[in-house]
Formats: sequence, C-alpha cells, structure tokens
Amino acid sequence: MASFNSISELLAQLLFMPMLAFLLGLVMVLMYRKIAARLQRRIGPPFFQPVYDIVKLYSKDTQISHGLIHDIGIVVAVGGYVAAVILLPVPGMDGIADKGGIITLSYFLMIPSLGMALGVGQCANPNGSIGISRALTAMLAYDIPFIIVVFGVALHYQSTSLVGMIDYQQAHQWGIFEMPLLAAAGLFALQGMMGKHPFEIYVAPAEIATGPMVEMSGKFMGGLFVMQSFQFYVASVLYTSLFLGGGANWFEFLLKIFFVVEIPMSISFLFPRYRTEDMVRIMWKWPVMLALIGIAFVI
Amino acid sequence: MSKLGNIPVQAKSEKKRTNPLARVFDELIQFCQSRSMFMLHYCTGCGAIELPPAMTSRFDMERLGIQPMVTPRQADILLVTGYVSVKTLKRVILTYEQMQSPKYVIGICSCTVNGGMYWQSYATAKVLNEYLPVDVYIAGCMPRPEAVIMGLRRLMSNIENGKGNAWKDYYERYDYYLGNQQHLFGDDWQTPVDVIGEAKFYDLEGEETYGEHTRTLEQHQEPLEAAVMRVKL
Ligand code: SF4
Repeated sequence: MASFNSISELLAQLLFMPMLAFLLGLVMVLMYRKIAARLQRRIGPPFFQPVYDIVKLYSKDTQISHGLIHDIGIVVAVGGYVAAVILLPVPGMDGIADKGGIITLSYFLMIPSLGMALGVGQCANPNGSIGISRALTAMLAYDIPFIIVVFGVALHYQSTSLVGMIDYQQAHQWGIFEMPLLAAAGLFALQGMMGKHPFEIYVAPAEIATGPMVEMSGKFMGGLFVMQSFQFYVASVLYTSLFLGGGANWFEFLLKIFFVVEIPMSISFLFPRYRTEDMVRIMWKWPVMLALIGIAFVI
Repeated sequence: MSKLGNIPVQAKSEKKRTNPLARVFDELIQFCQSRSMFMLHYCTGCGAIELPPAMTSRFDMERLGIQPMVTPRQADILLVTGYVSVKTLKRVILTYEQMQSPKYVIGICSCTVNGGMYWQSYATAKVLNEYLPVDVYIAGCMPRPEAVIMGLRRLMSNIENGKGNAWKDYYERYDYYLGNQQHLFGDDWQTPVDVIGEAKFYDLEGEETYGEHTRTLEQHQEPLEAAVMRVKL
C-alpha cells in the first residue's frame, strides 16, 4: 500500500511541477518585459500580457505547418524543458531529482536547442538556417564553461545529486561562499544559456528576422513562448540549487529564483551583442578560465 | 450583410456548436486577441517616422499589448505607413498573404486613403482597400502618434466586439481584389500563396471567391517550384 501511495504521490508531483514551472515562468517573462520597459522609461505591458500572447497565438485561425518534423521539433523543444523541470527539486517536491542527477539534467538542457534545430531545418528559410547554426554554435560556446562548472560543483560535493547538494548547503553554507569562482563562471554561462544580450546573436531581429523563429506562426510561436517561460524557470532554479542552497521554504525559494533571473535580465538591456565567433572566444576564455581556477581551489 | 467602411462583410452561417462553453471561450479568445497584437510595420512612406515615438517611452504602445514583430508569419497587424508605389504594393500583398489569420491591415496616412498628395502620380496605388481589406484607416499627413494609437485602440475594440473580420473578406471576395491587382500588375500576376486553396481548406469561400479574374489567374498560373539554393564558388 505504501508503494501505491508513493507512486501516486510521484505522479502528482510529475504533473504539478511542470504546471508550477510554467506559471512561475510566465511571471518571469512578465518581469523580463517590465524590466526592459522600466530601463527604457516606459510603462510596460499589463500583468496578464504573457497569457494574452500565448492564448492569442494558440487561437490563430490559420496555422502554417512546414511538415511533420516542424511540428515535432517544437514539441521536442518544449518537452526537453518539461523533462528538465521534473529533475529540479523545489521545496517539498523532489520529483525524480534523486534518481537522475545533474548529469542527466545537463543532457536534457541540450534537447530544446536540438529540437528547435530539427523544426527550423524543415522550414527551409535561409534566415532560420543561419539563426539555428548560430544558436548551435552559441550552445557549444556556453556549454563548455557550464559543463566545467557542473563538474567542479559535483567534485566539491562528491555527489551528482541535486537533492544531496541542497541538503548539504542548507546544513553548512551556500555554494556561492564555498566556490565563488565557479559561481561567477556559472553566472556567465547562464547569460549565454538564456540567450540574452550580449549573447543573443542568433535571434537578432533586425538582421536575420529573429533567426530560428522566422517561420513560426500561431501555435508554433506559442510553443516557443511557452518554451521561453520554462527556460527562465529552469535556468534560475538550476543556479539556485547549485550555488544558493535551494529553498528551505517557498518564500525563500521564490525570492532566490527571482533574484537570480533578474541579474541576466537587467544586464541584457545594457549591452549590444557579440558576434558568434566573438561569443565563442569570450565564453571559452573568461568563464572557462574562472571555472578552471575554481576547480583548482576545490581540489 | 453588414458593412465595414465600404467593404461589405458577409456573416458566415454559424456552424452548430455543441460545447456549452463555446461562447465563453470565443469571448476569451477575442479579448486576448485584442490585447495582444504583434505588428509588422511596412514602412513604405514618410508616415513611418511617427511610429518610433508611438513605440518608445513617450507613448509606449506595449502597455496596450502591441509589440513590433519582424516577420509576417508572427505578425497580426500589417501597418502600411504611407504611399504605396506599384512596385511596393506587390511586396505588401506578398507580405499580407503570408500572415496568419486573423490578420488586420491598418492604413496610416492620407496617401493610403486616397492617394494624398501623390494623387496625380502614375506610380502609386491610390486606394489601398482596393487591393487589400483594410480594417482601419488613420488619416492625416502625417498622423500624430496619438492618432496612431487612437486607430490601434479602435482596432482593439473592433476585435473585442467581434467586428475585426476584414481578413475574411479577402477570401470571400478574392476575385474582386485579384481583379484590381491584375489591373495594376498585368494578367500574369501570381503570388506564392494559394489563396483559393486556403479559402477552401478553412471553409471561407464566398460567392465572389471565384470569378473571371481567378479564371485568368488559372490560365497564367505557373506551378511553384522550390527555390534552388546555390553557392557560387
Ligand atoms: S500622407 Fe503625407 S506624410 Fe503620409 S505618406 Fe503621404 S505624403 Fe507622406
């Protein structure tokens, strides 16, 4: 009977965690647009704007699909993040975080980009192809420091389980105090992972017409909007769990994730963008260097 | 048959809806559609200069949920800002046909209403709604940002009340629009988008979808081929 209870509880968590992530992600999208507006001395969108956008996009009367892979690509892109969400522990819910560690998670975080690449490939729009080749190069750029950071953190805690890391940090002290260099490198990689300025060359609205999104209409674009809100959530919760000790309760947790996600958002509107090769260069130089020195300290 | 400007709009016979909440959903969707409009500004003429102030900090369109978007696939509103020369009109039509319905056209500036100061020009298309179904016109040479935002608000309230249906007219009276386009561009005018096919697929055919002009189109139509991409070495 106990096992039945634990299974139903697990199923409930698997349902509830993505929904929660989506809602929090929507608030983060709103926050992103509000920060942009305030920095530009505008008022910004109303509170429910992200919801209006998504409902509107899904309710378009005509939908252009460019083929099966185009459809599946978007599902893969959103699905990758949903899979990542159930691996991220939140206060009171672990999902399957204790079964798949941070290594599984770093694999899952690559799936959305690959899904997009599949979907965009079938659109056969040259702007899209340029965009996606830039996006994959960007992934190569930020994944190297990200993986080094993950490796260093796992080495420090002698564990790859996020649940274990959070417990350790709550008992002792936050990761950011024990490994400040790795935390700094992680923040750098986070900026690239969220695809915000100065690392958003693959979107570049004015030059390549939003790159990967160029042929996305209606529900496809809606899928990407949903994906974006998951992306914000995943990036912030991952960073919070690695360096800020997760959350002992919901209040602390929300405070931390919104604080984390606010940093790249505010940086994002202060810079123009780097070219792809410059992005690779800068990503492989500074964060990698910081992370390697950080690892040396950890050992 | 109701009227929207000088465009007659035919109400489609309502399909039987079985869901008791259908009306609620419809209203929710109309509300969201009116509160979230992605706009593609086709800056053809001098009127475009009034858009940056309307979008940036002084008048801030984003608080109404209006955002600029960069490709026709993502956009809901096509903003034609100023005179359209014959050459530009071709591109405007191509752009319009690639947008996903419900889609709206706004003509900014007197030049789109009646030719404005280019009335005597041989190279401009004068009345925009002969070629595309225009939802809202904003007159003025050039209209101030306040006027632009007024026009957009009018469109918002139209959509919210279920009156922003000019896009259906393009399918239902395609023959009329195609005729005017052929008059300007010649009989072999054709676009990559199969409007008649779309009208059939989405059940939007009207009495005037077909006519003598669509027959002319059929005679001259060449099958579309995928563009070959070649790298010159
Ligand atoms: S109405 Fe005046 S401002 Fe507008 S496009 Fe015509 S000439 Fe230019």
